[in-house]
Amino acid sequence: MLGTDKSMIASKHILGSFDEALASLRNNVLMMSGLTERSLDRAMKGLFQRDDNLCANAIADDEEIDQLEKQIDKDGVDILLRFQPVASDLRRVVSAMKLSSNLERMADQATNIARRARKLNRHPPLPEMELIAPMHEQALSMFKDSIDAYVREDVELGRAIVPRDEKLDELNRVASRRLIQRMAEDPDQLRGYLNLMFIARHLERVGDHATNIAEDAVYAAAAEDIRHQPFVAST
Amino acid sequence: MPSSDPIVLETHDRHAETEPETEERPLTFEVKNLSIWYGDKRAIDSVTMDVPSNAVTSIIGPSGCGKSTFLRSLNRMHELLPRTRLEGSVLLRGQDLYSTDVDPAIVRRRVGMVFQKSNPFPTMSIGDNVVIGLRLNGVRDQKFLNERLERSLRMAALWDEVKDDLHKPGTSLSGGQQQRLCIARALAVEPEVVLMDEPCSALDPIATAKIEELIHELKTKYTIVIVTHNMQQAGRVSDYTAFFYLGRLIEFGPTTKIFSNPSERQTEDYITGRFG
Repeated sequence: MLGTDKSMIASKHILGSFDEALASLRNNVLMMSGLTERSLDRAMKGLFQRDDNLCANAIADDEEIDQLEKQIDKDGVDILLRFQPVASDLRRVVSAMKLSSNLERMADQATNIARRARKLNRHPPLPEMELIAPMHEQALSMFKDSIDAYVREDVELGRAIVPRDEKLDELNRVASRRLIQRMAEDPDQLRGYLNLMFIARHLERVGDHATNIAEDAVYAAAAEDIRHQPFVAST
Repeated sequence: MPSSDPIVLETHDRHAETEPETEERPLTFEVKNLSIWYGDKRAIDSVTMDVPSNAVTSIIGPSGCGKSTFLRSLNRMHELLPRTRLEGSVLLRGQDLYSTDVDPAIVRRRVGMVFQKSNPFPTMSIGDNVVIGLRLNGVRDQKFLNERLERSLRMAALWDEVKDDLHKPGTSLSGGQQQRLCIARALAVEPEVVLMDEPCSALDPIATAKIEELIHELKTKYTIVIVTHNMQQAGRVSDYTAFFYLGRLIEFGPTTKIFSNPSERQTEDYITGRFG
């Protein structure tokens, strides 16, 4: 049977309380993504500006994000129990719960970065910090776009984020090789290089979670599972 | 992909995932361009739909959408109402049910039916209720009737509950038991298909679960078509789902597809509760 355009499914349910519950769930996801972005931003500024206060703020943000994760899971389960959603409603609930899990892990990466940054801030700055900046830029843009794809139910944007993870992986590889090389050349700064290497790894993981969010956004909007596809064309 | 450099921490490997192949099932019914009128009112409008064998097909849709009329047209039960008219064809394993040389009574023996409200014959015992169809068809062999009685009640998952009370009135059973008795009665004449018109709408959740479990077991032997207003039930028991609206078939497909990602906007609106 021919499909029809369902992209504009937004009309209200007969059951108003169902709409309210879905809206509340979505608002909590958006709030959580905003806090996660802020936490990541504070951690990276704490690193680049060598500001321990910003690092402490990033770490403190994590508590609120953890609570939101629990709240979203609870609300999601409540909706499943009370309304037994199907089709696009079910996908929205499932993807919101999966998003919250990815956002919580992203916030953990921000906390990890902030902790590593505080250690680095105790010592003179390392020029190899320049390896981190492009990774931050790439991870952050993937994160923002993945949330945009979710909010706007933009399938094409979501799909396009997945191959962008390859660039972040490559930047991570380049950074790791360079930092390993510097460890051998300059063993006195070994701890500093190791901390930078971990920060690179944390940013690479942020990209992974952004990719997951993008995949969930595509699933929510189009019921299409684009995970674990071996040959995703780069765009 | 994993890097050759062991110290570089990498992303998870991605694995290929193959799509399950679509299974081709033989068909029990082939409904072609079916329209049904009650007097001047067109209840079914140009419906074309196949019903796969040994599977449960559920029919959903708002009240008055024609789903019960469609169900009844599968064993010519709708003809019992006055001023009905039908166009198109309904093939049962290739044979046109509405051909002039087909006896409706034979059709109804091949295609059994269970109704919304359990309706055991009030003056008959449990046992007589089950074998009445066979008796009406002239079977007198008591040994045969006893065997068929036990087998039908076992298939309807009722034997253990009533085997010592076969002489008691059918109406002495609980609502859920009465409905299973009606299913046993339908099975006793060994139909090829069992039609069910909201068989659980008057039952409590436990009795409903027993009927649903029974439907699941019966599909290995029978083709089942069920009309239900309960979409969770359609999701649980059926392999295929058809959505009707205003007498038309809007969408038909695997139940998992209909309830996860229907192709038609009207289907989505109905199953998600957005129908105005």
